[in-house]
Amino acid sequence: MSHVDISGWYNSLQQEFRSNSSKIEKISRRSEYWRKSNLDIVSDFVYDSSDTDINKQKGTCLYEPDLTIHGDNLEFMNKQSNQISSIMDVIADEQSFAKNYFGRLEEKSQKRIPRPLARDNTLDPKVGFALSFSDCLKNPLVIHNKTNTSNSNCFQRNLIVIKENVEVTIIETGNNLSVFNTVTEIYLEKNAKLNYLDFTGENNIFPKICHKFCDMAENSSFNHFGLKLNTKATRTEIELHLNGKGINTSIANVSLLNKKNHFSDENVLINHNGFECKSRQVFKSVLENDCTSIVRGKIYVAPEAQKTDGYQSSRSLLLSENSKFFCKPELEIYADDVICSHGSTSSSLDRESLFYLLSRGVHKSKAKEMLVIAFISEALEEIESEDIKAALSNYIENWISSFFNE
Amino acid sequence: MLKIDNLKVSLEEEEKQIIKGLSLSINPGEFHAIMGPNGSGKSTLSSVLAGKDGYTVDSGSVTFEGRNLLEAEVEERAALGIFMAFQYPIEIPGVGNMNFLRTALNSQRKTRGQEELNAADFLKLVRAIAKDLEISDEMMKRPVNVGASGGEKKRNEILQMCLLEPKFVILDETDSGLDVDAMKLVSKGVNNFSSSSRSFLVITHYQRLLNYIVPDFVHILVDGRIVDTGDKDLALHVEETGYKDFL
Repeated sequence: MSHVDISGWYNSLQQEFRSNSSKIEKISRRSEYWRKSNLDIVSDFVYDSSDTDINKQKGTCLYEPDLTIHGDNLEFMNKQSNQISSIMDVIADEQSFAKNYFGRLEEKSQKRIPRPLARDNTLDPKVGFALSFSDCLKNPLVIHNKTNTSNSNCFQRNLIVIKENVEVTIIETGNNLSVFNTVTEIYLEKNAKLNYLDFTGENNIFPKICHKFCDMAENSSFNHFGLKLNTKATRTEIELHLNGKGINTSIANVSLLNKKNHFSDENVLINHNGFECKSRQVFKSVLENDCTSIVRGKIYVAPEAQKTDGYQSSRSLLLSENSKFFCKPELEIYADDVICSHGSTSSSLDRESLFYLLSRGVHKSKAKEMLVIAFISEALEEIESEDIKAALSNYIENWISSFFNE
Repeated sequence: MLKIDNLKVSLEEEEKQIIKGLSLSINPGEFHAIMGPNGSGKSTLSSVLAGKDGYTVDSGSVTFEGRNLLEAEVEERAALGIFMAFQYPIEIPGVGNMNFLRTALNSQRKTRGQEELNAADFLKLVRAIAKDLEISDEMMKRPVNVGASGGEKKRNEILQMCLLEPKFVILDETDSGLDVDAMKLVSKGVNNFSSSSRSFLVITHYQRLLNYIVPDFVHILVDGRIVDTGDKDLALHVEETGYKDFL
């Protein structure tokens, strides 16, 4: 960190975090949080990209970006951007709002699950944004990640604070061209609402490891939707702390993978600490050609979190025998008046449905596309905005023809 | 139009022969009915004609307008003009009915080298058919057959038939699960659709459907073979005496 200025508060935080880093369990095949995972994505941060046409790595762009994170620089595109500052400026500022927030959630989220990659990020952030919203945003804030191939890896650090009664939608797209390790800490005050859509770049060959930690106050909402369209290797770790009553949250993910050995690894921990909170988790994976999807989803219900309503569904469609789906749903419940359920299935395309479509003259590849779209529709339903949902459905319907035809 | 010659068919998994030498010739404009007791091979016949997996053709041939039908893929058969109304129409959650119908119609048109129908013309066409069959807008907006009653599902099959305009229609036990009113509505749809260039093969257990859709020929299928052929009076005879005379 010698090349940038840092504030006193950040310096003391760093010392504190550095000193207790050794207690965090390292990544290993024996760790239950990494079992079945693809350790290649962390074992060697150098990837051969010589065969890659980087111009094709464009990302899932539904909207024009407001902010592009290009290498270590932030490029602001329009007016909405004035609520955004660079994380590097923030950690250099003695009076920054961030001093009460930075690193706190990462530290808290080490309590139940060791997250060594998040800690690496905390100790050496290179780029990122800090957002503090006191007013609602009319339009989604679109952030585009455009990392440099010259960097062997990119540690991106983000901080989002949403004040009372404020509603914000953020859409993140990206073409990450180097190994990408991101940590985003999110604080939602009373009645605040954040819709976060994370569209990791399609056909992306570089690993993306993405952490999102969120602290939620009374009656706040957090809806997160992730999309992986033939991304080579991704790992997502989301941990939410539902700290007040009446909190609502939904975590959904769609992974469509059929390029050799592609891999998605979804990890969610929802801590229900408040009265009458609701959480939903919906995961859909469509896999072929030695691709693997892992879902570890845990609902923790504290003794005081009565009337909790927790739901988790993780389903996979295996289009070939060599594709794999591993699911570990967990419930840890200490309250006695709760509804918590989980379900997991793996299946192939339904032959009767396929025959029905074919018998009406629908071409085979189109019929498969229709059944895949139908399969993932439950996850898309989790997106609250009808406009975004329609735009995204349309995007996937156009994209999916390449899924079966390549 | 359709010529079946000494067809023998087994179940793929059990190696059990179900159809044991069936011959049948259907000309344009003709209504044929096949009746038979349970297990006689009626549904196997319709499945083989539509191209469903799970059956092995041991011998014999099926030609449709001079083409070897057994070599054609399922979707090719549809584009050639073959349509089977399912005994149990499939529910497909997540696939919208309108999207399905438009995709099916345009896929067939594309296969036949015709121009695709635009959204406005398609909507006009499908709404007119739905109105005749008393199918509500709400039902049209649902996913394919999801939440539909038995009668609604069968009406949806007839709607698909009218929309896709096949040359040869197989009605596989279309009367099962229908009340009298629904049966009349479905029969009206079929009769309005009939023409001198279209042919129908109606598969049924009971004579009652044949009161509404009057066949030119009635065939009795027993143990994989046609054992008798007659006109509509043969169906009335079966209704009175059952199949015991043919066993």
